[in-house]
Amino acid sequence: MHDIGILQLTQHLDDAVRGFKAGLAEGGADAAFTYRSADGNAALLPALAAELAGRGVELIFACSTPAAKAAVELASPIPVVFTPVFDPAGAGLLAAGKATGMAGMVPAEAKVAFMRRLLPGARTAGVLYHDSDANAVLEAENFRAAAAGTYEIINFAVSRSDHLSTLDERLAVRPDVLFLPIGRVVEENFATVAYYAELAGVPVVASSPANVAAGALGALAADHYKLGYACAGQAARILAGADPGSLPVGRADEPDVFLNAAAARSLGLVLPADLVAIAREVYE
Amino acid sequence: MVELLAPAGTWDALEAAVNAGADAVYLGGKRFNMRLHRRDANFDDAALARAVAFTRDRGARLYVTVNNLVSEAELPALRDYLAFLQEIGPDALIIQDPCLLELVREMGLTLPLHASVMMNTHNEAAVRTLQAYGVTRVVFNREMTLSELTLIRERTGIELEYFVHGDMCVAHSGQCLHSGVVFGQSSNRGRCLKPCRWPYGFTAAGKPLAAERDPGPYKLALKDMCLYLHLPQLIQAGVVSFKIEGRMRTADFVGRITGLYRRAIDRYLADPAGYAADEAEWRELHAGRARDFTTCYAFGNPGAGAVDFSGAREPRFFSQAVKEASAAVPAAGLPSGGEGSPASRPLLSVRVADMESLAAAYGNGADVAYVGGEAFKPAKPWTLAEIAAAARLAEERGAALVVTTPRITAARECGELAAPLRSLEEMRPHGVMVSNPGALRLAAELTTLPLYADFSFNLFNSLTARWLQNQGVSRATVALEATGTQAAAMAAASPLPLEVVVHGPLEAMVMDYCLPRALLGNGTQPGLCRDVCRGGDFALTDSAGESHAVKVDQYCRNHILFARDLCLAGRLAPLAAGVGAFRIEGQHYGPGHVGEVVAAYRRELDRAAVPEALPFAPRPMGIGVFRYEASR
Repeated sequence: MHDIGILQLTQHLDDAVRGFKAGLAEGGADAAFTYRSADGNAALLPALAAELAGRGVELIFACSTPAAKAAVELASPIPVVFTPVFDPAGAGLLAAGKATGMAGMVPAEAKVAFMRRLLPGARTAGVLYHDSDANAVLEAENFRAAAAGTYEIINFAVSRSDHLSTLDERLAVRPDVLFLPIGRVVEENFATVAYYAELAGVPVVASSPANVAAGALGALAADHYKLGYACAGQAARILAGADPGSLPVGRADEPDVFLNAAAARSLGLVLPADLVAIAREVYE
Repeated sequence: MVELLAPAGTWDALEAAVNAGADAVYLGGKRFNMRLHRRDANFDDAALARAVAFTRDRGARLYVTVNNLVSEAELPALRDYLAFLQEIGPDALIIQDPCLLELVREMGLTLPLHASVMMNTHNEAAVRTLQAYGVTRVVFNREMTLSELTLIRERTGIELEYFVHGDMCVAHSGQCLHSGVVFGQSSNRGRCLKPCRWPYGFTAAGKPLAAERDPGPYKLALKDMCLYLHLPQLIQAGVVSFKIEGRMRTADFVGRITGLYRRAIDRYLADPAGYAADEAEWRELHAGRARDFTTCYAFGNPGAGAVDFSGAREPRFFSQAVKEASAAVPAAGLPSGGEGSPASRPLLSVRVADMESLAAAYGNGADVAYVGGEAFKPAKPWTLAEIAAAARLAEERGAALVVTTPRITAARECGELAAPLRSLEEMRPHGVMVSNPGALRLAAELTTLPLYADFSFNLFNSLTARWLQNQGVSRATVALEATGTQAAAMAAASPLPLEVVVHGPLEAMVMDYCLPRALLGNGTQPGLCRDVCRGGDFALTDSAGESHAVKVDQYCRNHILFARDLCLAGRLAPLAAGVGAFRIEGQHYGPGHVGEVVAAYRRELDRAAVPEALPFAPRPMGIGVFRYEASR
C-alpha cells in the first residue's frame, strides 16, 4: 500500500485528481490518498504540504503551480508529480531534481491556428491578461510571437482584478477577437469580461472550458483528466524506484476544442462545421 | 432530536458526509437547483435515484433541493421533475418558489416540504401559511437570533433548521437582486456572481470616508458562519437541524467539517452538563478555515464584527463590478394612436414618500399611489393622520390609494402592523400592499381591503400568481429580476392582474447590517450607533466608478440601490398587452420629479407621445434586466 498525498489549490482542478487516481488504479497500484485543498487560498499551501509530509506520504501529487512549488520547497525529499503547471522550469520546480509531471501548456501556435479556424475574418486580437501572473505573462508573450503576421495585437494588461471593471473603456478600440491566456484572475472574474465583451460585440476566445460554458465563444484547452492520468504513469515509475529528476516533463499533446453555440448566435456567427465535428463539447 | 445536515455537490461528497456521520444530506439535481455555476457538480436523475438508495441503506436522510425561482417556460419540465422525485422518494424537498406549494398540492405529492432559506422566512405568520401547505420545516433567515427561533418554534411547532457553518449572504437571502439584474444571472436561480464580495468605497454627503476611518475596501464581505463553539445554545434553543453550507465544496472539506460537528454533538448529547468544546478539534477547524469566523445573527446583530474589510482571506471572486446597462439607447415607445379601449389600458401606479409627491403623482395622471412602509432617512414614516389625509386626497382626485407595509416584517414590524391595519378598515383606502407571506397572512386576517403583493414575492411564474390569489391577493407585482420577455409570458398566463415596475431606483440588496454605523459609528461596539445615519446621504462606490446609494429605513435596515434608476420609457410595447399596471418607484424622488416622470409615462400609456430623450434624471438611468432576453 502506497501512501500518496494530494495537494490541491482549488477543487476546480479536481478533474486532474480523478484522472490521476484512475490511472493509478488501472496500473494496478495499491494506494491510499490523503487529499488537502487550499480551497483557492494559495497562502495555505505550504502548511498543507508540511502536513502531508508530516503524515509520511511517499509521493505528493500537486495540482497547480503554487501547489507544486509548496511541495517542492518542502525540506524533505518527497518526490512530487505535478499538473497542470504551465511552465515547470520557469517556476523553478525542476532544479531540486525531485519533481516531474505534465505541463498544461497548449502551444501558442495551436491556439493561434484554432482562432484562425474559428474566426477566419479576424485581423486584430486583444490579449487580456493579469500582468503579475507569471503564467499569464508567459502565455501572452508566446501568443504574441505565434500571432506575428497573423494578428495585429492589442495588449490589455490588468494589474488587479478590479481593473476589469473598466474593460469597456479599453474595448472601445473593438478588436476582432479578445484572447484570454490562462490565468486565474481573468478566468475567475470572467462574468465581467463577458459582460463588456457582449456589449461591445467582441467574441472571446478563452483558455478555460469553464469560461466557454459561461459565454466565451471557444477555447482550445488541455484536458485536466488526461493530464492527471498521464501523471499516474510517472508516479507509478517513481513508486517503483525511478528517480523523479530523470523523468522528463510531459505536455498536453492533444488539447480539446470547446465551443459555445449560444455565444455564436448572439454574435451573429456560425460555428465552423469542422470545429463542431471535433469539439469535445458545444455548450448551449 | 438533533440532526446534522451536510451538503453534497458530488457523489464523493455524499459518501464523505455519510461516512463522517451526517444524519442527513442535502443535494440538488441538475435542474431547478441553486449552485448551478459548475457543470460537474450536482446529480443527474440516475445519480439522484442512487443517492436515495445509498442514504437509505446507510440510515441517513436525503433532502433534494428544488430551490430556484421557476420561469413560466420551465413549468412543464418542473412537473415532470416533481413526478420523478415523488417516484424515487427522498425524505424531503427543500423549496423556494411558492409555485412548488401549489404544484405539490395539485399533483397530490406526499413528499415532505422544507422551506429553503431563499424563502426569507422571518415571522410566525409566514410559518403558519407554510404549514398549511404541508411544510414541516423551515430553514430560517440568518438574520434571526436563536431566541426568536425558539419563540416561533414554541408558538407553531415548526421544525427549526439553521445554518451552523459556512459561507453566508450579507443581504437578506432571496431578496438580493444585484447579480440577477446586472448580469442577468440570478442569485435566486443559483447563479450568484457575488457583488457583495467586490471592493467598495463609501461616501457620506458625497465625501469619501477619511482614509484613517476606512477599515478596508471589502465593506460587504461577510465572514463565514461558525457556531461550533455554541452547539449547546443551539441545541437548547430547539434547533433540530444543524446545517452545514457548501454544495460546491470538496468531499474532503465536507467530510472533515461534518466529522468535527458530529463528534462535538455526540459528546454534548452524551453528557450535556459535562460538555466542553474540544480544544484540539476547535484548533483544527479554525486553522483550516477559509475566511475568519462569525456567529452572524445567532446572538444578535453582529455589526461590523462580522465583516472582514481586508479581503485577505477571500478564497476567490466570481466577478468584478461593471457599469450598469444604460437607458441611453433610443427606444421605440408604444405605437401611438387609438389602439385598444381606454378601459383595457394598464393602470399607472407610483410609490411616493410624502404628501407633496402624492399630490404631484395624482396631478399628473397616476391612477394608483402607494404610501407607507419603509421611510428612508431623513424622511419620517407615514402617520395614520397623513394616511387618512392621503385617502381623502385620493377620493377627491378619483384615484386609488394603497397602503404598503415593510418589505421585511420581523417580530417588531409584525407587532406594529395590527393597529394600522385595523385603522385602515375605517379610512378605507383602496388596498393594502404586502411584501412577504407573513405580512400577507396578517393583512388577510385583519382587513377586508383588497390585497396587493409587492415585488419581493419574487413572482416568476403564473402558478405563483395562482398561489398568491389563493392567499387573497388581487394584484401582484412581477419579480424585478424577470426580463420583458419573461414578464410578458407570465402576464399572458396569470390568473391575477400583474404589475410591472418600469421606472425608478431599485434595491439591489436589503440587509440588517448597517454601513453608516459600521463605518461612522462605533462600529463593533453594541448600542453605540449614535444615530449617525440621520442625514441619510450615503453611497457605496464600486470599481467601475458607479455609485450605489445606501438608504437607511426606520428599522435600521440598509437598502443598497442600483447605480442606475430603471427607466423603461419607450420599452413598454412587449408588455402592454397583458400587464395590468405599470409602476414608478418614486419614493426617492422629490415632488417635482415625481410629477415629471408620471406625466411622461401617462403620455406614453395614453399613446399621445413616444418618449423622447428623457430629460428628467436626477440620477443616471438604465434598463436593468431588460437588457437580457431571459434571466438565467
